[in-house]
Amino acid sequence: MKTTMRLGLTASLLALATGAASADSTVRFWYHFDNADNPMDELVAAFEEANPGITIEAENVPWNSYYDTLYTSIVGGNAPDAAMVKMFAQPRLLEMGALEPLAARIDAWEGKADLLDNLLDLTKAEDGENYYLPVQYVALYLYYRADMFDELGLTVPTTCDEFREVAKALTRDTDGNGQMDVYGFGFRGAKGGHDHWASFTLSREGVNLVGGMENDAALAGTQFVVDLFREDGVFPPSAPNDGFQEIIGAFKAGTTAMTIHHIGSANGMVEALGDKVSAAAVPECGGGHWTAFGDESTAVFSTAEDKDAAWKWISFLSTAGNNTMFNEATGQLPVTKTDSAGWSLHPERFVKATMDSLPFAQLLPNRSETSDFVNTVWPVSMQRALTGEITAAEMNAEIAKLFGE
Amino acid sequence: MSATDPSRNDTPMRPVRRSLARQVLPYAMLSPAVLVTLAIVFLPMLQTAWMSLHEYVLFRPKNFDFIGLDNFRAVLADDVFWISLRHTLIWIGVTVPAQLLLGLVTALLLNQNFPWRPLARALIIIPWALPSVVIALMWAWIYDSNYGVMNDFLLRLGIIQSSIPWLADPDTALGAIMLTLTWQGFPFFSVMILAGLQAIPKSYYEAASIDGASTWRQFRHITLPGISGVLVTAVLLRVIWVANSFDVIFVMTGGGPGYATYTLPLYAFIKARTNLDFGYGSALAVTFTILLMIIVVIYLRRTGKALR
Repeated sequence: MKTTMRLGLTASLLALATGAASADSTVRFWYHFDNADNPMDELVAAFEEANPGITIEAENVPWNSYYDTLYTSIVGGNAPDAAMVKMFAQPRLLEMGALEPLAARIDAWEGKADLLDNLLDLTKAEDGENYYLPVQYVALYLYYRADMFDELGLTVPTTCDEFREVAKALTRDTDGNGQMDVYGFGFRGAKGGHDHWASFTLSREGVNLVGGMENDAALAGTQFVVDLFREDGVFPPSAPNDGFQEIIGAFKAGTTAMTIHHIGSANGMVEALGDKVSAAAVPECGGGHWTAFGDESTAVFSTAEDKDAAWKWISFLSTAGNNTMFNEATGQLPVTKTDSAGWSLHPERFVKATMDSLPFAQLLPNRSETSDFVNTVWPVSMQRALTGEITAAEMNAEIAKLFGE
Repeated sequence: MSATDPSRNDTPMRPVRRSLARQVLPYAMLSPAVLVTLAIVFLPMLQTAWMSLHEYVLFRPKNFDFIGLDNFRAVLADDVFWISLRHTLIWIGVTVPAQLLLGLVTALLLNQNFPWRPLARALIIIPWALPSVVIALMWAWIYDSNYGVMNDFLLRLGIIQSSIPWLADPDTALGAIMLTLTWQGFPFFSVMILAGLQAIPKSYYEAASIDGASTWRQFRHITLPGISGVLVTAVLLRVIWVANSFDVIFVMTGGGPGYATYTLPLYAFIKARTNLDFGYGSALAVTFTILLMIIVVIYLRRTGKALR
């Protein structure tokens, strides 16, 4: 009897302790939204109401230093419990032993069946395990000024050759002061612009970041980009340093007539330009088609204090309804079938351009070097090639060297 | 009997205690500051030096292999290091003298009597008081090739025929950022030199004018010697600050286009923080520290002799 009582007392104390622990559970979550008035607070409030005892500390970390901050926080022992993550970072995060395997949790999760087909396969690690839970996706496509195309009687380019001709025609001095005021294409020469270059280069037959950068096709791709700037002058002169804000700002201001980005910018573009802006898939170059699949997932870190609570939070974000709210903030597309079916947050033409791009949308190689390619090797060598410091062949050799090491 | 006499025992003890207290007290008073400095300055310095002797890539935290001076050998064989070093020397060699000259002229002007002088003195400090990031963004807009006021101004004056992408052209990017930093840093010299000017007794100038000394001779023989102490200190501080400062470059160009605005601290930062190669980044930082120390020592020796 005494033993039973003691056991009961112990069990009650344990239950109390567990309750107290879960009551104190805090999930530190890092994310990056460009949108300053993001509704993350609403999502946090909805989650905390549904899960009393779990507090979410969501922190918007600036995109430019997002991964630098994340990696150093992991090594410094101050990693968040969960965070938004992209595929290119996965090999490094795995090498650091920072990711918590999620396959078993995903299998047991009722929201799994509602996830769009193939997303879990696309975000699988090389070892076959799922460490990521998709939360949004995009595919990059070509934004163009429909009004300028109409004015000049141009059609949307479907090949690189057509693209070049159209870009040249669109580059104009409209007010006759001797200065170009419209440029054919807003090229992103700073960090993040590899997607632009890749659509013109990686599309070509036989070109691949790993083991396929030192052939004629790769050279033709890079040379095509360099010539657009140096020979044809269809990029604004600031292109080597232009980042996301500059290319989007220039397009909205009418300084450029085309650029490449994803549906995340669509609503802002429409707000600035209305029906004057439209979208289409990127042109086919050198016999192939390539555009970037913009993945975004969430992950739980192996150092998370309460992994169950962290999983509850990230799975909440990828559940129908909540995922719509999340994508309202980022302007990207939901990963659930339910939310996708009734999607009306973007004008139809941009959703169509995304869907048209999906069949050939690809991710960068799932390798540790990809981070260096994105962050330093591509921007530095592209800028040097654009400004004539190195040749297109030398730029490709730099990339080949990185992935060949 | 005499050995038990308390008065005779106490007499030699007191000075000993007093002198001991006098010896220990300064150390006791200084130790908190010294300990904090050791912890937040010297310890990381030693850590950096130690890391520079290892292969340490942050995303492979378990591999921390001692490789001796291999990182330093790699630094010396690294083209980007030499490009960055050249830029760093230009960066210091142009920016500090430009700030000094502008600061000197401003200080001399502010030392004159004119209405609203206190307001002018307060306004001059604004560039120095603004955060570097604000200055960098502001100047990036000034230099913008599409909307920037710089191009607009020069086009209207007919000095240039077409917009220049100041920050996107490797020939102009470093110069453009140096101009920004000159604008940011000259108030420091103005304020320091102004303080020096006010310490020079007016009677020296009166005496010189009575003796018929021209304004230039007064400046050469009274003003310059009067502010030389301030100048030496201000230049030394600015050399160290300018050499180490990369925030303005980082915000304006991130080091680009290509390596056109890479300086050594920026290169070390990018290697460590973006490429996560802390071993190599530390080796760059240590190399730069040694080079800067050599410059500072030479400067102090030369100016010390000149001042004597």
